[in-house]
Amino acid sequence: MASHPLLRHLAGEDGIRRWAFYVPVAFMVLFFAVPVALTLVWSVFERTIFWMEPGFTLDAYVNFFTSARAENYLFSMIHSAVAVVVAFTIGFPVAVFVRRRVPTAAQHRVILLFIIPFMISELVRVFALRPVLGRNGLLNSLLMKIGITSEPITVILFSNLAVVIGDVVSFLPFMVFAGFLAMEAIERYVFEVCDDLGSNTLRTFKDVIVPLAAPGIFAGSVFIFVNSIGVALVPTILGGPGAVNAGLMVNQAIVALDFPLAMAISAIMMLTLLVLLFIGHRLFDLTKILQPIN
Amino acid sequence: MNQQQFSRRAFLMMTAAAGAVAATGGIPGVSAAEGDALKLWANPGVHKVGARDWSAMASQAGIEIAATAKSARADESIQKMVVGDGNKLFDAVTDNGGGMEDALASQGVIAPLDTSRIPNWKNILPVYNEGGPADHTIRFEGQVFATPMIANADSMSYDFKALGFHPDSWAVLFDPEFKGRVAMQNDFGPTMTNTAIYLKESGIASIKDPSNMEPDEVRTVAEFLIEQKKKGQFRTFWDGFQNGVDLLASGEVLMSSTWEAISLVAAGRAGDKADIRYGTMKEGHQIWNNIVMLTKGGMERGQDQAYYNLANVYLSPWFGARTLGGLGFAPQMTGVESYVKDHPEDFDDAMQERILRILNSKNARYAVKGNAWQNVFPKNLRAYTDWWARVQAA
Repeated sequence: MASHPLLRHLAGEDGIRRWAFYVPVAFMVLFFAVPVALTLVWSVFERTIFWMEPGFTLDAYVNFFTSARAENYLFSMIHSAVAVVVAFTIGFPVAVFVRRRVPTAAQHRVILLFIIPFMISELVRVFALRPVLGRNGLLNSLLMKIGITSEPITVILFSNLAVVIGDVVSFLPFMVFAGFLAMEAIERYVFEVCDDLGSNTLRTFKDVIVPLAAPGIFAGSVFIFVNSIGVALVPTILGGPGAVNAGLMVNQAIVALDFPLAMAISAIMMLTLLVLLFIGHRLFDLTKILQPIN
Repeated sequence: MNQQQFSRRAFLMMTAAAGAVAATGGIPGVSAAEGDALKLWANPGVHKVGARDWSAMASQAGIEIAATAKSARADESIQKMVVGDGNKLFDAVTDNGGGMEDALASQGVIAPLDTSRIPNWKNILPVYNEGGPADHTIRFEGQVFATPMIANADSMSYDFKALGFHPDSWAVLFDPEFKGRVAMQNDFGPTMTNTAIYLKESGIASIKDPSNMEPDEVRTVAEFLIEQKKKGQFRTFWDGFQNGVDLLASGEVLMSSTWEAISLVAAGRAGDKADIRYGTMKEGHQIWNNIVMLTKGGMERGQDQAYYNLANVYLSPWFGARTLGGLGFAPQMTGVESYVKDHPEDFDDAMQERILRILNSKNARYAVKGNAWQNVFPKNLRAYTDWWARVQAA
């Protein structure tokens, strides 16, 4: 038993067992709070030719906003937002379908099927799109064979469209999982009431399901958005000449040994996420995601 | 044993010995637990020859090697060696010449070399002599800090079957006839340098040193690339070995500025569908090399002799012939041609023909007047990266 009053207070009457609750806190401080704080501190350090030295300068931020990097970042956000919309359009109806039409006993098994793609390396998943979308790929071969086009469609690979396709393919399960969890929180009688009142499918979806599942949809959207702007793989493999997202910009700054700039871009990414979470919380009360399902 | 006297029989004996040791529980040259082994941080794909592991290199050098895989990223080396524990972990490190030796030597983390302790230094290519075009790639403030291992003049791969001619100018890459069927590397270094060489040598722009451009010169090159990009000239910019191979082998592009190794692998993968070849551009090419350096920690631990033994292998025709025949990297020593001819037991007729053909084309590429040696850290690096961001945003 701890003898110091502070230790006694922290450990409480349960002694060592209570310390177990501090382990996650220590983990978060060490592996989340400290790296975030260091990112912010290093972003204002002075750049040296091969490294950086302590100081205070906003040079990295000035460079970000006065070079084409801000433009690239904005494009990256737009592409990511489009990917979120497409993922919602495809993924959320899947979640609704599973929740409403699949027998309860089988629902979780069906949802687990969406984990299977995550067992394959993301590099392989994204690279596998190349022989599908390429000039001589499966899709173009099929379209030409059935006479829809006479020449290969080139805009589906090495383009912004290809990046959006890659993001959706990579991150769609996030929308399905989050959407399904949100749907689980909606009582079944809600759907029965809608049916009894003669509400058609579209209206039930638009006016009942989406508002009730909004916190879950938002959570899934945030996961997809953050991955889309941060995972460098997709624009590298599927993007057009010089395609970038924020993650790739950080990567390139590090390769050029511009560490404060890399930290500044990372800090801006974090700020973007915080703003998104704030907006989401104001609109949808994100604490609902954490409420237990009755 | 003299490196040049190395024979197939000796090689078989050594590999047999290596196999015997492996069978009894240890493979020389690969165990990181070896106490006296030279701890080498290197790219296993391109910095060794002769066997799948480091055993042939270790046998040649008469040392044990405990190798750790390393990427080609400059930031990785700097972080590990300058602010990390690289000096504790490694006795020797490899990297790009023309910058990394300056970075590491200026930070005091690598040791100057006594080249008299490397017998094969006498074989080194004349470009590395003091005042030669590549002397800066192994020296810092006039002192030798690195031994060159492999090099190449990066040029253009093309599909001869589709084109029907052999391009000999970078101009083809920017020809509207091939709009949307060309690619360049997604790296501001080689792409801006090769474009600068083209603009300079063809008289389109006034550029003093394509390897070390002034900000307004960087701007000129970037604006040219932006103009080409806006016209839809490029299909994409490739990044990574497999990415580069796939672009050519799949027929997605007809030509691309690439590494020669990519060209060789793409040619094999394309089979009869394409005839992928590697050209020589009359304007010139960016030439790069990889170097091996002795760390301060390695020196302090008394591993300097082991380093010199390994450096001696890297400058031997034994290594040069094999790296040339394998991935097509340029040997850094003279005498490869005669070595190959003198060792028919190691190199059959087909391999001899291949090695000599690649060597001849390489020599022709090296002789182009407009070539520029790689500069990893040009003095206006920020201008390069800022303008590259504009190329990306265009």
